[in-house]
This record gives sequence, structure tokens and C-alpha cells, in this order.
Amino acid sequence: MAASLRIDPSDATPLWSQIEEGVRRLVASGALQHGAPVPSVRDLARDLRVNPATVAKAYQRLTDAGVLVVRRGEGTYVADAPPPMSRSERTRTLRGGAIRYASLAATLGATREEASEELRAAWRGLDEKKGVTP
Amino acid sequence: MTDPAVSPIRMEAVTIRYGRALACQNVTLSVASGSVYALLGRNGAGKSSLVRCLLGEQRPAAGRAFLFGADSWKTRRRAMARVGIVPEEPDAPPAMSARQLSEFCRRVYPSWDAAGVSARLERFGVPAKTPFGRLSKGQKGQVMLALALGHSPEVLVLDDPTLGLDVVARGVLYEEIVGDLADRGTTVFLTTHDLAGFEAIATHVGILKEGRLILDEEIERLKSRFRRIRYASRLTETRTEFGTELDAFEAARVRVRGWGIDAVVSNFSEAAFDRFRSLDGVEDASAEALSLEEIFLAVAGETPEKADEAKGAGR
Repeated sequence: MAASLRIDPSDATPLWSQIEEGVRRLVASGALQHGAPVPSVRDLARDLRVNPATVAKAYQRLTDAGVLVVRRGEGTYVADAPPPMSRSERTRTLRGGAIRYASLAATLGATREEASEELRAAWRGLDEKKGVTP
Repeated sequence: MTDPAVSPIRMEAVTIRYGRALACQNVTLSVASGSVYALLGRNGAGKSSLVRCLLGEQRPAAGRAFLFGADSWKTRRRAMARVGIVPEEPDAPPAMSARQLSEFCRRVYPSWDAAGVSARLERFGVPAKTPFGRLSKGQKGQVMLALALGHSPEVLVLDDPTLGLDVVARGVLYEEIVGDLADRGTTVFLTTHDLAGFEAIATHVGILKEGRLILDEEIERLKSRFRRIRYASRLTETRTEFGTELDAFEAARVRVRGWGIDAVVSNFSEAAFDRFRSLDGVEDASAEALSLEEIFLAVAGETPEKADEAKGAGR
């Protein structure tokens, strides 16, 4: 799982929040299936080379939200029926990603047209991966 | 065991002198149990002096350092049973191998975990039978870390632990430290120049500059208040003086570039930035988060007045 969780310590978003969002994304996309085990706090912290307390905080929030469940003595799993993201949470996440992308584009001196075209190209790339013909 | 009410590490107005030279001046800090405190500073900023003082190897000219609430200069022996140390200059009898060193320590510490030490040496890839004097500098440091954790210390003190390690060995070291944090909740106090490596592991950061602690803060808070703001400045009829648009921010560093202004600010907020970008004459404003290294450069890499301004902004 660590390989598909991209975290960036120099990003403005706190690391625990990046891990939390990353796990949600993996669950939403089906990369992490319902009921599947997730790495222990210790293993994920070692793989990501982050403080275990940071991973523990992300897992705690995901457990509180019903995305993950802890089975005593067994480990942590994706819930069998994880709740869909709430509307406000979804909007917040989408907006956060958009602001990050827009700042990056502005920093690189890209025009709005250029940035929008890259976004459209990224969508096409995702569709191709899923085998969807546009 | 550790009393949670007592910080395992505390310094009260510590000043260290070597003859007339002042190494540290009036340093006060406290490290809570389970924290990872990264002390940063340029070469000669006083980091190692402060570590030696904390370990009771250097008597402060003024002030006191405490380990588990006890003056470390007066009670060095007693505290050492609860502290693991990786010194800046790894030092051990050159003829003894890592295995012999571990065997020796087993006789000193009743709770010595020889199996754990061997397992660690194996993970590091350090030959257990080679005499210490024939190991590389990086390997010597790894032996020191393997031994430092041998008596399951409550506090781990690391003086520049990645010095001389290649990228693979550094990775193994981070994993070892993270694993120990997960297993035992060890309190760590470290000095380092490897800011990128410890950025995600440290919980608190201190910056020493010319012997003074100019910053001492939780890393998440530190990173939330620093941003690089870039914009093109257009002087207009209502605004003829350059730079006043930044007045709402504490600027740790400002650079004028061909395309506009590049400023590192230490009191960023979304609300203040929204007001800023709508100011008359400010165009194409962007705010970018900074890595720990960039924050360090902005705070400790400039002239003394700038550093003092950055410190004032942190209050």
C-alpha cells in the first residue's frame, strides 16, 4: 500500500491528512478492496519513513469515520461497507486538490488554457486505464 | 519508569563557554516524552556543545540541563542507564568487534538485549566480527546505534546520525528509528544536517544560530505558518512605495527578482493572503508551502537581523 500512497513532507497539507486522504482515495478507487487488510501502523510508518504517531492519527480518524475497522488481535482492515465520503468532505477534498494544482501551474508560469488542457489530458489518461473509450 | 509529568529532557537558560568563546547562550527548551526533537544549525552553531551538556559531559557556565528531572551534570551515572547515545565521533576500542562490544555491554547492563543488537547489525549489514577500528565511519555509527538501543533506553540521543552514511544506509537508519518509536515510544533528541530525511520523523524542531536558540516549535505548526509568496508588483498612482504591500506579513526573507518579488513569510494565513492578493498593484500572487530545509535557510541562512525578525514573528 505504501507504494501507492504518495506523500510529500514539503506539501502544505499535514502528513496525517495526506495519509488519510490517500487511504480514502485507494478505497474509493477500489485499489484497496472492502474487507482487505491494511498494513500495521508500524509497517506503514517504516515504509513511508514517517513518525508512527502520524500514521496512528490518520488511522484513528479513518476508524472513527468508519472507513477502517480494527479487529482486536488481528489488525486493521478496510470496512466491509465503508461509508461514502460526505458531501462537504468530498467538496473539501476536491477543492483542496484543485487549489494545489492551480498553485503549481501558477508557480510554473503556465497559462490557464495550458493548465486546463493538462487536466483534460489527465482525465483521458484515466479513462484509457479503466478501458473506457471516450 | 518515566513520570509523564516530568519532561525527560529539559534545559534552563544554558550558557556554555570554552574559555572566552561562547558556544551557547541562554538556551531554554523542553522535550516531552515520546517526542522527536530535531536540533538544527549550521556548523559551529553550538549543537554538539548542547548535546554534551545534556549528557553531563560539559558543565554549563550558567543554567542547568536536566535528564528525567535531575541535573545531568550532577547525576550523569544514574541517568545513563536510561539513555542511549550515538555520538558525533563514534568511539570504541579499535581492536574489539561489534559482537565483543555487545558482549561487554551485556555485563554492564542487566537488561541487555544481545539478540536485538545482533539482529540490528544484520539489518545494517555491518560485519559482527570485524574489529571496530577497521570499519568505515558510517559502519561505526551503525554499531553505535545498534549498541545504543541494546538496553532499551527511554531517551535516545543522536548527534548527526546520518553523517557519512550513503543513501541506502540512511534509509535503514530511518526505518530502525521509526520502528523503535513504534515499538517503545522512545523520546529522541537529535542534531542533524539531513533535514529532508528527518522532516517526516521529527515532531519538534529547534534552530540554533550562533549559540542562540532562535526557533523552538512543533513541526506541524512551523510548517503551517511559513509560505513562499511570489507576485508581480505594479506601482500605481495610489501606491508608489515598493514593498508596503507585504506589511501584513512578517517577512523572513525578501528577494527582488526580474519577474517580481519572492518573499518567505513566517505568519501566513489564508485570510491574510486573500486580502493581500486583492491589494492594488499585486498581480499573479501565489503562495507555496516550504520544506523544512527551505524554512531553515530562510531563518538561519541569512544575516543576524533577519533571523531575529523571524524569531519575533514566531511569538
